[in-house]
Amino acid sequence: MPNRTAVHSELYSPDSNDNPPLNGGKCRACGYVFFPPQRYGCESCGAPPEKLEAVQLAGRGTLHSYATVHLHMGNDIETPFTIGLIVLDDGPAISATLTSRTDEGLAIGDRMQSVLVAAGTDQAGGEMVELRFSKAGAGK
Amino acid sequence: MKKNLRDMRPVYVVGVGLHRYQRLSETPYVTLGLTAVRQALADAALEWRAVESAYTGTVLIGMAASRPMLRHLGATGIPMAQVENASASGSTAFRQACIDVASGLTDVSIAVGVDKPGPFAMAPGKARMRDLVGSRLVPFTHFALLAQEYMTRNSVSADQIGMVAVKNHRNGANNPYAQRQKAKTLEEVMAGPAISGSLTRLQCCPIGEGAAAVIVASDDAIAGLGIDRKRAVRVIASVAKTEQIYRGAKNFDAELTRETVEQAYREAGVGPGDLNLIELHDAFTIEELLYVEAMGLCAPGMAAGAIAAGEFDIGGRCAVSASGGLLAMGHPIGPTGAGQIAEITRQLRGEAGIRQQPNAKTGLAHMVGVGAVCVVHILRKDA
Repeated sequence: MPNRTAVHSELYSPDSNDNPPLNGGKCRACGYVFFPPQRYGCESCGAPPEKLEAVQLAGRGTLHSYATVHLHMGNDIETPFTIGLIVLDDGPAISATLTSRTDEGLAIGDRMQSVLVAAGTDQAGGEMVELRFSKAGAGK
Repeated sequence: MKKNLRDMRPVYVVGVGLHRYQRLSETPYVTLGLTAVRQALADAALEWRAVESAYTGTVLIGMAASRPMLRHLGATGIPMAQVENASASGSTAFRQACIDVASGLTDVSIAVGVDKPGPFAMAPGKARMRDLVGSRLVPFTHFALLAQEYMTRNSVSADQIGMVAVKNHRNGANNPYAQRQKAKTLEEVMAGPAISGSLTRLQCCPIGEGAAAVIVASDDAIAGLGIDRKRAVRVIASVAKTEQIYRGAKNFDAELTRETVEQAYREAGVGPGDLNLIELHDAFTIEELLYVEAMGLCAPGMAAGAIAAGEFDIGGRCAVSASGGLLAMGHPIGPTGAGQIAEITRQLRGEAGIRQQPNAKTGLAHMVGVGAVCVVHILRKDA
């Protein structure tokens, strides 16, 4: 898979395999784990940037809620699409686009996993990928 | 020693005014704002020159909105400032006016809310902390996620949540200042168009233009300026808080509301059973269910049943969104929090006409905003 780029290059690698991890952050002072990563200071204890380190968060978690969106101003995705609120096994709750366009077959409590999906091409013609979540074991 | 608002000089709302909330029009913001301010002055029977400080809650108009508007009342040289606090801007402007009077800095202050939809910038996006969803998750989807979770956890149906919109549109139909003044059936509410999750268009508030103004005064001003004390409504708590870290996927809107309202209850010396009416941030139907539970008006998961039983209707045990709320009266952003104070003041004076909640003595105003921020006021009319 040469020359793939990630839509969110700071949040995950475009070259991961089936179940890519997310780039998160951790505070060495208090242990707080967060996503998305940042280098400003710890939201939990106020520790300065030097105390913050990059950590990888496993792309696995539990579906806390979901909503199928019917109205969207951008042209980055067609409606309907479905947003999931997922509590990662590594702690943080994150929002992600789900691979299924509608909520059919989804249930709160479902096990979820990350997956890279094709997201068109960049200006140089290179393949772009975007991280979404799907039901664990459901494939793409 | 620290003091609560109630331990400082008493603060009273003595004048309120509104310009109708409506769809974007050619009307200049100056006209919207002046309409509300002149109505508030007339309501208080005060001259503009009695006002000693002014705070303008506004988000969308742009820099330096106050003086280009207020100078047309006669330039008196008073301090003026804009207050931006997302959806809670008008609430925060009102809080600043109350603080001026309570502290003794002024005897009469005014909070104005005025806004018109237009292009605007959001600071959070400039923090360069992109997440995975960006503009795919706008507020209506944030609340659609909360709605789905609420329905699943409490075995509540989408129709039961939609009943909030039926109630609040019924109230808005009787409010001449409301953007939406038509009652809607549950069938009309649920017929769509679908927006996100279970939320339909009529379960999402309209964002238009409008203005609200609230004049607050001290005992000295009431005595010295001949203000009608019988129509003055005391502000007995003013609390503002911001979001803390709530572990896991705990619903921060409800947690922040719970913390802020609990502090307001403590400062005012009242509890949920004392409230006769509430104006809350019902930008989306699900919010009313979450917040009345967070405010302790009913047990977790029981709000839908309470709404079905009419407990939050005008005439029920506590009228919620008697004005029509954000859902029907509308949410022009800057004015909204000040408009809530105008509604509660009219209700507590017994001047709310066909929307009157009988024997209303104590009312609570609640706004949340992006940040997240929460601002709560409790008002009481002493006999």
